[in-house]
Amino acid sequence: MADRAGWQDAVESELRAAGRELTVPPASDLTAAVRQRLEGSTVQRRQVPALGTGALRRQLGWRAALIVVAALLTVLIATPQGRAAVIGVLRFAGVELRQEPGPARSPGSNASLPGERRMPLERARLQVSFPILIPAALGQPDGVVVSDRGRVVSLIYRRAPYGLVRLDEFAGRFNTVYFQKFLSLRMMTEVEVNGTKGAWIKGPHELVYVTRDGTLATASARLTVGNTLIWGTSQVALRLEGKLSKPAALAIASSAH
Amino acid sequence: MGRAIDDAEAVARARDGDLDAYAVLVARYTLRAHRAAFLLGAGEEAGDVVQEAFVKAFRHLSQFRAGAPFGPWLLRIVANETRNLTRSRRRREALALRLGTAELEGTAAGSPADEVLAAERRAQLVAAVSALPDRERQVVVCRYFLDLSEAETAQVLAWPLGSVKSRKARALNRLRGLLAPVEQNRVTNG
Repeated sequence: MADRAGWQDAVESELRAAGRELTVPPASDLTAAVRQRLEGSTVQRRQVPALGTGALRRQLGWRAALIVVAALLTVLIATPQGRAAVIGVLRFAGVELRQEPGPARSPGSNASLPGERRMPLERARLQVSFPILIPAALGQPDGVVVSDRGRVVSLIYRRAPYGLVRLDEFAGRFNTVYFQKFLSLRMMTEVEVNGTKGAWIKGPHELVYVTRDGTLATASARLTVGNTLIWGTSQVALRLEGKLSKPAALAIASSAH
Repeated sequence: MGRAIDDAEAVARARDGDLDAYAVLVARYTLRAHRAAFLLGAGEEAGDVVQEAFVKAFRHLSQFRAGAPFGPWLLRIVANETRNLTRSRRRREALALRLGTAELEGTAAGSPADEVLAAERRAQLVAAVSALPDRERQVVVCRYFLDLSEAETAQVLAWPLGSVKSRKARALNRLRGLLAPVEQNRVTNG
């Protein structure tokens, strides 16, 4: 028995010694790659379960999801692997488009972004870290609302013949998601605004604000009004919402400076 | 990153969606995870396996038991990803367990016969480990090449502790058999 333990110890220590001498190719730093992949999906991880009302479920009967990150869009679609990877969300300028039913909306129409504060435009400019763009086609806004400690600014317009028009602006950082939209991707067409890609969404859809830590602000969940245009500049991402035709929306967008 | 945070704090913050905190864990465990993936059979694809494992680990952080060590929990995901990879491979690639060649040559160049013999025996041992049946090789890799305890090995490979013990015993027996000629040589030479 002692002999048996003896050979076992010998083999074990030989194995440990061999282990120390094994060649393992160098590992590369993965922090950036892992982070990039997670930034595309932190909101997904915290996805609120789809609402259960039968009618809406039928109406929003698309289960397949579609994921694309805006800047990668062309590359992704250009490669077969890319095409295979397009399965969950489309992302444009801080807005994520998801083809699936959205979370339950708060009853009534009092949905709001976190910490909304109404203030004059000049004060709002001091509260946010990005330049606030004003579309010349709409002129000075009738109301300015800063939300979530300066993370989003909303310009409110009442303009005939459109009625209520809302322009949300937020820092145009590539990997941050500010809003999620739940819709059928058939509602979406790609457009060009001042030489960059944008998304035109025809018809109402569910809109939810995504907070800094990637959670959905369910109190903000609401159905949008009219049509929506999403686009961005190098510094600012913009979401224009209202009963606007596509040419009118594009004209407003290209006049924003 | 101002001050160093420990694993428990990094996990807690990462679970709340803090990607900076998670980056700390990724940086801290990349080498270990990479070594594990490579030695468990991922070979050249170890980098991909580890990246996938880190992404999955983040998504499953809610299942991580607070206070438990992060290393073995992560390595279990690494081992599982490696298994998925090797299973999906069409041909089973020769497991590339190799000893550091520089070291071996250095030893052979101008060193006492004993050391040359030791190096040869070690090379033979590694070849023998490579040739073990899958499960026995995995337990040897975990216990001796990754320095995991039996309990950690059970966790990483998702086996009952008893299987770790029995497969390890079987592996050692087999290696003893394979090493026997060398042992005998040494005895006759000495």
